[in-house]
Amino acid sequence: MLKLLDMSKKYGQTTHKYPFEPYILADNFRGKPSYNFDWCIGCAACGIACPSNAITIQLNDDKSKLIWEFDCGRCIFCGRCDEVCPTDAIKLSNEFELAVNFDKTALIQRGELDTQYCSQCNKAFSTKRLVNYSYECLSKANIGEKRLLEAKSYLNICQTCKENATGLNLTSGEEMVIE
Amino acid sequence: MKTYEVPQEIKDGNTLEEKLELLKQIGRSFSVFRVDCGSCNGCEIEIFAAISPMWDPERFGFKLVANPRHADILLCTGPVTRQMYYPLLRAYEAAPDPKIVVALGACGATGGIFYDAYNVLSGIDKIIPVDAYIPGCPPHPASIIYGLTTALGVMEQKLKKVSFEEEGELPSLVKDSVLGNIIFERDLLVKAKKLMSYVFGRKLFDKYIEALLKSGDVKNTQATKKSITEAMTIEEDPRYAECMGILHNEVYAQYVTCDEEDLISLHRVEWDKR
Repeated sequence: MLKLLDMSKKYGQTTHKYPFEPYILADNFRGKPSYNFDWCIGCAACGIACPSNAITIQLNDDKSKLIWEFDCGRCIFCGRCDEVCPTDAIKLSNEFELAVNFDKTALIQRGELDTQYCSQCNKAFSTKRLVNYSYECLSKANIGEKRLLEAKSYLNICQTCKENATGLNLTSGEEMVIE
Repeated sequence: MKTYEVPQEIKDGNTLEEKLELLKQIGRSFSVFRVDCGSCNGCEIEIFAAISPMWDPERFGFKLVANPRHADILLCTGPVTRQMYYPLLRAYEAAPDPKIVVALGACGATGGIFYDAYNVLSGIDKIIPVDAYIPGCPPHPASIIYGLTTALGVMEQKLKKVSFEEEGELPSLVKDSVLGNIIFERDLLVKAKKLMSYVFGRKLFDKYIEALLKSGDVKNTQATKKSITEAMTIEEDPRYAECMGILHNEVYAQYVTCDEEDLISLHRVEWDKR
């Protein structure tokens, strides 16, 4: 018995004081993904990467907003959204105190982004922020001013309209030359 | 599939007032019964980690019991497979009223990664009323202790539903390129992630750019070679050091014309002076 007491005196107390004192987490702990709405461009890369579909991205009924929604209850903390996010808008944080009582909707985070309408067919196809971001990237990529002006017009056209226009140009013999 | 309807006598015995009364009466001793409804065993391992002396939840009076008839709290894990549907109901009906049901883990809370699988009911709350949810895949022992203490009203709930509806001005997210071409940064980041994965790849990217800017003139191959080699020698982690050399040889050399002698030797003896 005295030997046991000696041993416990030698090794001290190992029990964590949590929840009465904050718990110090290890480096690279995978906590709740934190969402920075100001930086989100609505590119939907995180929604495609998410294996458990905790992140869903949908247009609302009248297609004026793109709704980004994250359900922490379904998240498996794999960090793939963090890996693919081009603007660091979603990042794994150190938050681990996630329990909620009764109401599961407290686990949800959502953001609504304005959609961009196609200048040809007037259909919602992307977000305004994504178009702005793409233009900003192009303007810093060392390309000519003429191409930048072209980019300004073609960034506002949806995929289907672009394909149709390319087909039309090819068949009518008006091929574009990229400088 | 028709799911379970809670009988009226259980409903009557499980109102919020009854539960609050129970919390007052049982004071500081709670018995927890663990129901495994087809979980992958990750949550079980974390529960047993949480009841080890390292965390010692008997400080608050938590005890694991082997019989639902002794339990105050049912700790349910797993997405509820078809095989575990009836055992869960039997445990629920056997527990004395009022009972507190806690759904543990991503699977218990919403079905997790199995939410749309054909053989699961996805979530404890689809079958029986749940009082507390502890997400996590699996939850950390500290999260489990936090969840159980919030379920008992010892600690406050921290999460709230967050909804952003008004869009503000988008800040400039693209930094100016060091070489005047953003594609250099893109290729550099892709290569860094390929070499060291995304967490350390980003750190490697930052270290490389910092070392590149230290040279003063980023287009002068002599100066950049000197500053990158310097950064490699003072770098403590040899993985970062070698990967910085690889980045310089393979990505930087594509964007700035380099001679054979401008490339950095990756032979460790030459830059690892320790």
